[in-house]
Amino acid sequence: MSLALTLHTVPTVPLEAEVLSPARLAGLSAPEAAKLTVVYGNQRADLGDFFKVGKGADGELHLTGDLARVKRVGMGMAEGRIVVHGSAGMHLGTGMTGGEIVVEGDAGDWVGSEMTGGRITVKGNAGHMVGSATRGSAVGVRGGEILIFGNVGNEAGSGMRRGLIAIGGDSGDFAGVNMLAGTIVVLGRLGWRTGAGMARGSIISMHPAELLPTFAYACTYSPLFLRLCLLHLGRLGLPVARSQVEGRYQRWCGDAVELNRGEVLLLDSAPGA
Amino acid sequence: MIVRGVLIEDTFAEAFTMRVARLIITGRTPRWAREAALKLTGFATSVIGCKCEAGIERELAERDTPDGRPGVSVLLLTMDKESLPQRLIERVGQTVLTCPTTACFDGLPQAPDRLPVGKALRAFGDGFQASKVVGERRYWRLPVMEGEFLVEETFGMQKGVGGGNFLILAEDADAALEAAEAAVATIADQPGVILPFPGGVVRSGSKVGSKRYKRMIATTNDAYSPTLRAVTESQLPDGVNSVLEIVLDGVDGPAIESAMRVGIDAACRPGVKAITAGNYGGKLGPHHFHLRRIMNGGPATA
Amino acid sequence: MGSPLRIVNGRVYDPANGVNGVVRDVCVRDGKIVDDVPPDAKRIDATGLVVMPGGVDIHCHIAGPKVNLARKVQPETHRDDVQLRTRVTRSGTGGTVPSTFATGYRYATLGYTTAMEAAVPPLGARHTLEEFHDTPVIDKGFFVLVGNNLLLYRLLQEGRLEEFRHALAWWLTVTKAYAPKLVNPGGDEMWKGQRNANITALDDKIGAFDLTPRRVIAAFIEAANALGLPHPVHIHCNNLGHTGNVETTLETMRLAEGRRAHMAHIQFHSYGAVAGKSRSNPTSRARDIAEYVNTHPNISADVGAVMFGHSTSMTADAPLAYMLYRIAGGKWVNADTENESGCGIVPFTYQDQVYTNALQWAIGLELFLLSEDPWRMVFSTDHPNGGSFMTYPRLIRLLMDSEFRKQQMAQVNQKALDHTSLRDLQGREYSLYEIAIITRAGPARLLGLTAKGHLGVGADADITLYEEDDDKEKMFAAPRYVIKDGELIVEDHEFRDDHGGRVLHVAPAYDAKIEQVIEPFFEDYYTIRFANYAVDDRYLSHHQVIPTAAPAAAATPAGAARP
Repeated sequence: MSLALTLHTVPTVPLEAEVLSPARLAGLSAPEAAKLTVVYGNQRADLGDFFKVGKGADGELHLTGDLARVKRVGMGMAEGRIVVHGSAGMHLGTGMTGGEIVVEGDAGDWVGSEMTGGRITVKGNAGHMVGSATRGSAVGVRGGEILIFGNVGNEAGSGMRRGLIAIGGDSGDFAGVNMLAGTIVVLGRLGWRTGAGMARGSIISMHPAELLPTFAYACTYSPLFLRLCLLHLGRLGLPVARSQVEGRYQRWCGDAVELNRGEVLLLDSAPGA
Repeated sequence: MIVRGVLIEDTFAEAFTMRVARLIITGRTPRWAREAALKLTGFATSVIGCKCEAGIERELAERDTPDGRPGVSVLLLTMDKESLPQRLIERVGQTVLTCPTTACFDGLPQAPDRLPVGKALRAFGDGFQASKVVGERRYWRLPVMEGEFLVEETFGMQKGVGGGNFLILAEDADAALEAAEAAVATIADQPGVILPFPGGVVRSGSKVGSKRYKRMIATTNDAYSPTLRAVTESQLPDGVNSVLEIVLDGVDGPAIESAMRVGIDAACRPGVKAITAGNYGGKLGPHHFHLRRIMNGGPATA
Repeated sequence: MGSPLRIVNGRVYDPANGVNGVVRDVCVRDGKIVDDVPPDAKRIDATGLVVMPGGVDIHCHIAGPKVNLARKVQPETHRDDVQLRTRVTRSGTGGTVPSTFATGYRYATLGYTTAMEAAVPPLGARHTLEEFHDTPVIDKGFFVLVGNNLLLYRLLQEGRLEEFRHALAWWLTVTKAYAPKLVNPGGDEMWKGQRNANITALDDKIGAFDLTPRRVIAAFIEAANALGLPHPVHIHCNNLGHTGNVETTLETMRLAEGRRAHMAHIQFHSYGAVAGKSRSNPTSRARDIAEYVNTHPNISADVGAVMFGHSTSMTADAPLAYMLYRIAGGKWVNADTENESGCGIVPFTYQDQVYTNALQWAIGLELFLLSEDPWRMVFSTDHPNGGSFMTYPRLIRLLMDSEFRKQQMAQVNQKALDHTSLRDLQGREYSLYEIAIITRAGPARLLGLTAKGHLGVGADADITLYEEDDDKEKMFAAPRYVIKDGELIVEDHEFRDDHGGRVLHVAPAYDAKIEQVIEPFFEDYYTIRFANYAVDDRYLSHHQVIPTAAPAAAATPAGAARP
């Protein structure tokens, strides 16, 4: 599966290309890979109609170009590595169970929705519904890690049950809505209504935030698990400051409508902290 | 074989297969990590009377612990795999959970045998506990009056080696003690081993069973007790008036072996007549550490 | 209606005509079974195939407002089960509540050609008929909900029984319904009025009305029989799903006093209680129910079997839906249809290790195995309540293959089985002939569909050809040929053609003067004008009026008096 694909024709409508995954391309020659079927709008097309397929060098799948309208890259993948040199479209790594995806640019909506394992790293921004449940599902991410270095849109981590979503920038509204468990770290600012309906789980931010009235302040302390978590994120390249690792956090319990078993932790910026 | 005038006897230490767990205890300062570790490893010299053997393996720098705080690494061993989790639950629950600022992590994350330690202790949280997965590992957060106690859900268990030993035969009690202290100080830096006895040293080496009391599992090692030279079948060379033993438990044979090598070397000093080792004729323990092979740098175990 | 067709050498099971596995030809012309066709007619070689009439589902939920709500509330089930477009068929989505097109096609791929939507509030009739328009292949009708209707209650309370009967006929006619349906009579009225209230016994007072479920049920049985409807009143008893509800069910059947009545999904109404305990797990009382039905030829029932796995509970029994929500704990819908009915939807999963679920599964099987008259204890899972209709092949195998049944019994909660007689029924296996009765001939006869469920001359040419197989689940999951109204729809397991199907409905005559009673009620209490209420024929493209047996005297033709 050591292939390098370069986008030669930028699609003008969405291109559904779940074939862009290590297992689907494994063992194929370049001409064979070019013959794989993709869905372009409501038509079927060949992968080669959009991508030039060449040999890769290092056993990874490399995709180059502006893939902002190429959907489902790495969907359901179980192992291997994909590197996108450019941007990725919607449903990047949706339902993946293992392996790794790295996007050098931005990603669209639904990054890693309902994934169960593996890691997705987006160096730029991502859209709405990062690591979320699909509409109607009660459960979103069940495992794995999603790292977005930039900002994300709304409903990141909705229905999340396990795993880690880390956002280097700001999150939109409803981060962690209906969360069941798991961890969301936002190094930037939170949007409105963070953690609405969360049953369990942790949402962390390094900035003050206005929380829903169904969240109640508990104490200011230094949770040890957060040290583990932030050190882990630092090793993965996110800009975690020493003051954040050592810092004290306000613990807000909520959502009260789900019995107050979840928490939002906000870095305490009070003097002396 | 003579090392700096000390006779290394042509014999071997006989050791047993035990089960071992490694705990990493961290704290706000090295002191509090150590306080917890000292309590946890207290009264754990011999399985004969303590049900487990434990000791501090080494102190850990901030960069070597999971949470980036100063820490202590502890080994705890039992004879069978059934009792190890129970000992861990008792001791972590009573000595780490209770100790300010500390947290307790598994030091054998690769071991496939997993013991439910945090998983059992979580009930102390009375339903208010919460679990958290970071990386591949699951932790339990127990709310306590100070704040929060963090303990890993499971701890790894692997086969270890217990009962590695050597005996320092000296001209007098002072020389024996000095040599033993030197050996202990050197072994302190060695990874993968602990010295479960007080200060790392045993004065009351034992033999299996009793010559007089049927119920006694172990009684004084009369062959090496200088006061009994005239009344028993003594093993003591002439001029030896005091013997101290260093007992080593470790994660595997090579760890014991390299610790014995540096320890024996450090013990070879003026006033020491000979270094020997305890065994049971080679029939009881599967691990045999031949002193001369160790000191020659070759593979010691047979 | 298709060219003449001769099906040659098939093994024919046509219980309505006493044909039990005889190898013979079946001839088709103009959508009907005929005696003979010219020698140059198209031939299907059915050697080695089993020929049966198309399946008839007497009780399912496939169209209308509540079905659509159930689709909307679980979009997550759609993306995993996509029905792809083919050259002749349209696309859709599946899950336990398939889209309209997928519903028709999937019934057809099981060899079913007729299905009855079992609960539509009158106000939902238009919606239901619109969905029927897009439900291909099968013929279909719906039962209209009248058991919690406030105007009918009012007439009954005031003893105006003749007007009650005319009003019932009016409602059946103007909604294009097939049969009257009672659901937990009185229950919705209680539920609307008080927190968590429900009917608990036949002699409970219904809210503010001076009525009891006993009086309501008896009145509907009386009226439906008097109107000569092809299918009598279709009753979902009070206390569905409750421990000890068997007494209510038996009492309800006794109310018929020899008149016809159909008991819906009777499995859900066959629960006992541990003696001497006021609160206990349910137990099986299938024996009592089966014995009553066996010995009372006026009573018929469909089983409403439970199959393990995903289901969607959808019901007009709003308080029941709340009870189920408290068990399931997930999302749910509860709704009120003004003056007419309630509604509840709960996605539900039946699990083989759960005591109650295993008991329900076992009771369904018990009822089949204890039945002595397959013509009156017919096949259903109350789709999608007890399980999707896509589980029918598996249920057929459970009935036909006692070894398979034994294996499945070993998988389920054994304590539940201890409270049933299922282990004592190992000797009983259904034959193909009996399967043909409970899935085709029986339901058609109970529905009064004289041209359905058999292969006699004059019958609708709805025919299914199965490949004989020891694995009956496999056999019934994929017929090789399905013929609807004489047209070859499925050939070699693939769709060859699309087909519209018909709406089946009744139009009992009524005294036009009844509208003078009904109209003022509308102006006072409904959000819809009386003039806009009746469903006109534009909502019926292909349809067929099934005649009633005894038109009431001095009645005007159906619909003629509409203003």
